[in-house]
Amino acid sequence: MRNRTPSPARLLPWIVAAFSLLVASMASSQSLSVQPLNVVGSVSPADWEAYRSRFVEDTGRVVDTANGNISHSEGQGYGLLLALAAADRRSFEQIWHFTFTELLIRDDGLAAWKWDPAGKPRVTDRNNASDGDLLIAYALAKAGSAWHEPRYTTAAQKLAKAIGKSTFSRSGRSLILLPGVLGFGSGDRPDGPVVNLSYWVFEAFPVLAALAPEYEWSRVWRDGVMLLQQGTSGRIRLPADWISLQNGLQPQPADGFPPEFGYNSLRIPLYLLRAGMTDLEWLRALKQRWSAENEGVAVVNVVTGQVRERLTDQGYAILPAALACALDGTPVPDSLKTFEPSLYYPSTLYLLAKSLLGEKYPQCV
Amino acid sequence: MRLVGSAITIAVAILGFAAIAQQTGSDGNQLPAATPPSPAPPANGSQPQVDESALRYFASQGDTRRVNAEIARLRALYPNWSPPSDLSQLSGNPGAAAPDPLIERLWNLYREDRIAEVRAAIAERQTSDSNWKPPEELIAALETVEARRRLTNASDTGQWRTVLQVATEAPSLLTCVNVDVLWRVAEAFARTDQVNRTRDVYTYLLQNCANPGERLATLQKALTLLPETQVAALLQFERKTGEAPDDFSSIRDELARRRVERASLDSKMTASAEDLAVVERLIQNSSDAGPVLILGWYNYHHGNPARALELFKTALGRNGGTKAAEGYAMTLRALERISDAEAFAYEWRERAPENMKIYLDVATALLSQDPPPRLEPQVLARIVPVVTAQRFPDAAQSLGWYSYNTQQIRTARDWFRTALTWKADDEPSAYGLALTTQRLNDRAGFNAVVAQWRSRSQRIADLADGIGTPGRQPAATPVVAAPIPMAQPGETTLPPVQPRPESRQVTAEQVETEQTFARTEVNVRRRQTQARSALGRNCAMTRNPAGLTGDSALTRGWCLMEINRPMEAVAAFDQALSTGSSRTREEAAYGKSLAYLRKNLTSEAAIAAAEAPQTRERRAELGASILTQRALAAYRDGRYVETLLALSERARIVPEQNDLLLIRGWSYLKLGRYDDAEKVFRAVQQTGYSEEAAAGLNAIAEVTGQMRY
Repeated sequence: MRNRTPSPARLLPWIVAAFSLLVASMASSQSLSVQPLNVVGSVSPADWEAYRSRFVEDTGRVVDTANGNISHSEGQGYGLLLALAAADRRSFEQIWHFTFTELLIRDDGLAAWKWDPAGKPRVTDRNNASDGDLLIAYALAKAGSAWHEPRYTTAAQKLAKAIGKSTFSRSGRSLILLPGVLGFGSGDRPDGPVVNLSYWVFEAFPVLAALAPEYEWSRVWRDGVMLLQQGTSGRIRLPADWISLQNGLQPQPADGFPPEFGYNSLRIPLYLLRAGMTDLEWLRALKQRWSAENEGVAVVNVVTGQVRERLTDQGYAILPAALACALDGTPVPDSLKTFEPSLYYPSTLYLLAKSLLGEKYPQCV
Repeated sequence: MRLVGSAITIAVAILGFAAIAQQTGSDGNQLPAATPPSPAPPANGSQPQVDESALRYFASQGDTRRVNAEIARLRALYPNWSPPSDLSQLSGNPGAAAPDPLIERLWNLYREDRIAEVRAAIAERQTSDSNWKPPEELIAALETVEARRRLTNASDTGQWRTVLQVATEAPSLLTCVNVDVLWRVAEAFARTDQVNRTRDVYTYLLQNCANPGERLATLQKALTLLPETQVAALLQFERKTGEAPDDFSSIRDELARRRVERASLDSKMTASAEDLAVVERLIQNSSDAGPVLILGWYNYHHGNPARALELFKTALGRNGGTKAAEGYAMTLRALERISDAEAFAYEWRERAPENMKIYLDVATALLSQDPPPRLEPQVLARIVPVVTAQRFPDAAQSLGWYSYNTQQIRTARDWFRTALTWKADDEPSAYGLALTTQRLNDRAGFNAVVAQWRSRSQRIADLADGIGTPGRQPAATPVVAAPIPMAQPGETTLPPVQPRPESRQVTAEQVETEQTFARTEVNVRRRQTQARSALGRNCAMTRNPAGLTGDSALTRGWCLMEINRPMEAVAAFDQALSTGSSRTREEAAYGKSLAYLRKNLTSEAAIAAAEAPQTRERRAELGASILTQRALAAYRDGRYVETLLALSERARIVPEQNDLLLIRGWSYLKLGRYDDAEKVFRAVQQTGYSEEAAAGLNAIAEVTGQMRY
């Protein structure tokens, strides 16, 4: 199997070249490219153990403790990625077992997104969630090469091909990532297609492109950046979680969702930083908004600018700290240096941020 | 290796994905094929006999690794199997190699179905020792369990292609110890339009697997997924001997039941005596209505309604519900017990659309009987509102003919009109409308029908051209005891249809129809609400008309007439007469006369008509109506001389209609003036409406002792 996998070392220059673009924005011109992360070893055993013991069951199920203890493909993907970051093969294998046997059952090779211990069958929504698929495939690909485990690489490749085949979709002149195979396309809803910019796990694109080069990963990556720039060019400068692209050029908040920069979108800066895409001008604006003197991390109405909810959990507070570190070299405050796990989602964001800081910005921590 | 080996064969054969099959062929060879399991087919039937000899041997040697490998292999083959508890007593040979405690632990976790933890522990060990390899047997066992979980999960969420893919990649799953997996694979084939492969899986299962319960369940599943011919072919695998013989009789019964069911709805298909006997037996052995209904319909469609009726009655007793009621009503009708059918179907009409349909059909049949039956008023009273509410044109047409044949010509005309509004291309209703308008001397109405229909209906054209006699309608001799409209039950509560003022024609169109329907109190109540909504005002509330202006009082009077409260209308018209303009007074006097006429108060009607000057037309109309009422009232009371006087007076104003001519004839007959009676009946007969006249002529013949007909 391994001989069928392209050598990452050989492909790296090509990938870096393909995943870079010159962005004309306002007056300045920025150059963006993905800078790969090692991931492995970037999370301390203690932090990981605190997370694992709370959110990962012996069956390999990652439990969303704020959501009725359901599981989802996103959580399994994060669990795999963090286990890899903690260099915990044992837990990685465990989480993978659950993901493989319980969620990777769709005819198209993608993962069913929702699993409820109280459901019958326990997959209570067989639709996929493309960010979950990307996270799982990315973690498998990274683990496959880090640990020389062909089972992971093979699975990553299958999933990457399925993502390219079933979730990439044309929208006008763009190639977009549909959030799910069902329900978001132009034929599925009046304001379709609808996208979620936080589903672009930017760092995953070059890695999966190497596994499924027949799909246009760099184009989807680039068009995602374009959409993000469009979505952050308004007065409030925040994208809504769910965006309708029905009107071609001008993205709108999608019908049926609150027009909010919410729990989904606040991952976007984290993904940008993890992908090394720090030159995006919007990150500076966001750092400003998120600073302690200003608004802080919050759920914000993108039409009125009104704050609906301020988010103070450690997992959210570390996001502006990571921005300040990456952009200005500001050290992370001491209060954020010790992991105090609360709920699944902010705890996950915390470890993802900390993994980034540990690998690329050790001077801040 | 027989089970696994044949499983691979069957997997390759039935999955039929050549490319994938080739891949898995090599995988299959890696299966632990070296140690043959029990080669004989299971003898005790219910649980495949597990060959534990190798296991016991390794245990006695203290070779834990091989013991565990064997346990894994057997567990993969027989998920319900547990290792014997006395194994530890066999072990302990001091000469054996030291067991690896990790592998021991892995097998224990595996035995406890903690597969994720087995995987985790293997990975952990490989982290610290990259050269370490888990036992192949363990890996194979894990892969089998994982494949079974994925296959089951995929099947539970309808991911059939995944089911087939997993089965292809893990042929070791496809054995008799995993019958559930085989069933799921079979279903996946059916759901992906490959029923022949579904049949192949079932065939494999019936040829190789021994558990009688699972074998029977296999056929039950086949019944839901396979065509019946294929199910029948599978019956050949029934094992009639041995320790645990099959009993597929319930499957045979089901197939027989289905054959009878098909034939039960098609009179051209006959069920065999054996199949019918099976259904009879199913009826005896259960309290289910299902087989009773099937046999009921079979008898219904195969010329045995008497037996069908018994069966449907049984089905009703077994909570057969609307289906049983449908059958019972249709069978009563088939037995020509149409009155009973109507009464029964009426009770069930609201239960299901089919029951409503049957009720309307039966009611139509009841009305269309030849000769027209004498129907109880309550029967008509319940038919009419249902027909109206359902807007069922066939029944409206039948009500038309029924009215026509019972000499309620105006009513008939209205019903034909109604039928045509519900079904514009209903030629028989158009013909009925032509006949009735002609008889009523309604030239405008008649011409309108003819203009619309003469190109489409020869008989309507003939009627207009005066050619021939109209075709016989579902009508015959009226019952002698009740030869006239007044004696007909429908007429007892039906107010005569009254002419209406020209100015009211527009709103009256619907109301006139309504009035025709006003046969019962129920109907009147319904009509009230409809009249109110139709006219957009409310006069149903009793109130004193004094104080109303002339026009308001007049409006109220007409409104009250429309809801059939003529005495209150009289008061309203009186108010209009005392306060209104001359035009209002004329209208009010007219209305008041009509109100009295409706109450059969003919003298009062005559007086009211004189209260204000009327146009010539209205004078003639009112006069004729008053005289008609008088004639009918006199006839009803047996005052035949007065009947004839009133009729003669009326004939001076307007031409005498055939229905009144018949009354004249019957009056002559009652008075013993047989020659005059005969002349009248013959005159009527010559106009072409001969049936009623023929009855009169027969009556004369009977009385005079001469059978002339």
